[in-house]
Amino acid sequence: MKEEMSLLRDIERYLEGEMSEQEKTAFEELRRTNPLINKQVEEHQLFLLHLGNYGQRQQLQAKLNRIHQQLDMPALRQQAQESNQAAKRLSIRRRTITNLAAAACIALVTSLSTIAVIQNVTRNKSTAQYEDVRRVLNNIQRSQNALINDINSKSKAPLNPGTYGGTGFAVSGNGYIVTNYHVVAGADSVYVQNTKGEAFKAVSIFEDISSDLAILKIADSTFKSQPLPYALKPQSVKIGEEVFTMGFPRDEIVYGKGYISAKTGFNGDTTAYQVSIPVNPGNSGAPLLDSKGDVVGIVTGKQTTSDGIAFAVKSAHLKHLLDEMPKDKQPRKEWNHKSHLDGMNRVDQIKKLEDFVYMVKVYN
Amino acid sequence: MKQHQDITRDRELLLGLAKGEDKSLEIIYSENFPVVLRMILQHNGSEDDAKDIFQEAIIVLYEKVQNNDFTLSSRLKTFLYSVCRHLWLKKVQRTYGLYSLSPELEEVIPATEELEAHQARDQEFRIMEGAMSNIGQPCQAILEDYYLHKRSMQEIAEKFGYTNAENAKNQKYKCLMRLKKLFFDQYNTSL
Repeated sequence: MKEEMSLLRDIERYLEGEMSEQEKTAFEELRRTNPLINKQVEEHQLFLLHLGNYGQRQQLQAKLNRIHQQLDMPALRQQAQESNQAAKRLSIRRRTITNLAAAACIALVTSLSTIAVIQNVTRNKSTAQYEDVRRVLNNIQRSQNALINDINSKSKAPLNPGTYGGTGFAVSGNGYIVTNYHVVAGADSVYVQNTKGEAFKAVSIFEDISSDLAILKIADSTFKSQPLPYALKPQSVKIGEEVFTMGFPRDEIVYGKGYISAKTGFNGDTTAYQVSIPVNPGNSGAPLLDSKGDVVGIVTGKQTTSDGIAFAVKSAHLKHLLDEMPKDKQPRKEWNHKSHLDGMNRVDQIKKLEDFVYMVKVYN
Repeated sequence: MKQHQDITRDRELLLGLAKGEDKSLEIIYSENFPVVLRMILQHNGSEDDAKDIFQEAIIVLYEKVQNNDFTLSSRLKTFLYSVCRHLWLKKVQRTYGLYSLSPELEEVIPATEELEAHQARDQEFRIMEGAMSNIGQPCQAILEDYYLHKRSMQEIAEKFGYTNAENAKNQKYKCLMRLKKLFFDQYNTSL
């Protein structure tokens, strides 16, 4: 205890420079030889530094408190409260304006879109009842179909089912097929596929937009020609006559039966019949045949607003079109013979017919 | 141009602060406190909170200019304001947990590095303060008079009624030893 105190006294005197020259050298020698004492000296220096800092800070804090007391606190308080309130009011006002602006924008958009929708609806009332029955192909049955293709033929037709599909039927034994213009419109390439699953590449060689008809020619060497079993009947048929059709609203040929219900088509179109027959997207271009097996029209579209109302271009226009075609492109005339289907029952007729009805696949 | 002038003036004030001029301290205090008071009140603090926070910021500033490692890069007002915001943020976090933070406060990320050194020094101060208050009277008064107010042992002996300076000196050494022990006990365990 006593020793510690005298050491402390020595350290203090040493640090404060109160030692005589002799004492100082002696103490420095002691520091060098005794690390414990050296450590004590350093510790004391550190302590004095902290003590000094402490003093300074206390002094500063005292000064700050004094200054603080001189401040006019009530005035400052009021000032701060006022400015805070002003800021709050401003932010509330700003928020209100933002909300109002947002509400106004929504109202404007709503009313504009309502007007647009209403206008659209009124316009559609007169025009949009008519619908093409070409089909947007999807991938259902695609894989099965692809398999059939592989087995039955070495066709090079792409396995992709295509973008759009319709129906077509042969107008000559050597590969001329008629379908709707809207089926092949804008096509990059066209393939036709028969019920056996054989696919052939075809090119559109003649198109007539006004009657919505197109003539395709099979451009595939694997195609074998065969005589047509049916004939074209250019005379117009009577109302009530029973008709039937075969088309590809799906990947399978579908038979449909109905009757001629009016002699004009959509909006009084005299080039077409109104037919009461079930048609679906994909039926576009399907043949319309009477009970004797003569082609009397080509299915083109239906009325969207009511079921069972379809339209078919009259066969007279098809004949007209075939006659109009450039001579070098003309198919062989095979129309004039009598239909081989006359007098057969429907099942046999269909059996003969289905080889000449093609699914038209369009790629674009 | 105006801002440039302002920052020059701020630098002069800081120079005064470094020299320990009370006038500079007073100007800095009275010019910047209202803004901080407003900010703290806005964020649901009290006037005392504002005072504590602002004084701590001033201490940070003072320590910095004392160490001569501080160059003012923004306006003094901006510096003090951001330090105060930061200190207030920390205080709110400490007291209420994270949930009561207002989103406005959360976006502030100022002066993080500036405050780290301060925190260490603050802790040292607290330790010394604790040790000082624990040694009791008259030890505390004697040591403060000798080491902080730089009074001579003769004066101290007269003030505290010792017969001579030598007796007072012995008493001082006893006190000093106790204080050192208390201080280093805390200091070595906490660091």
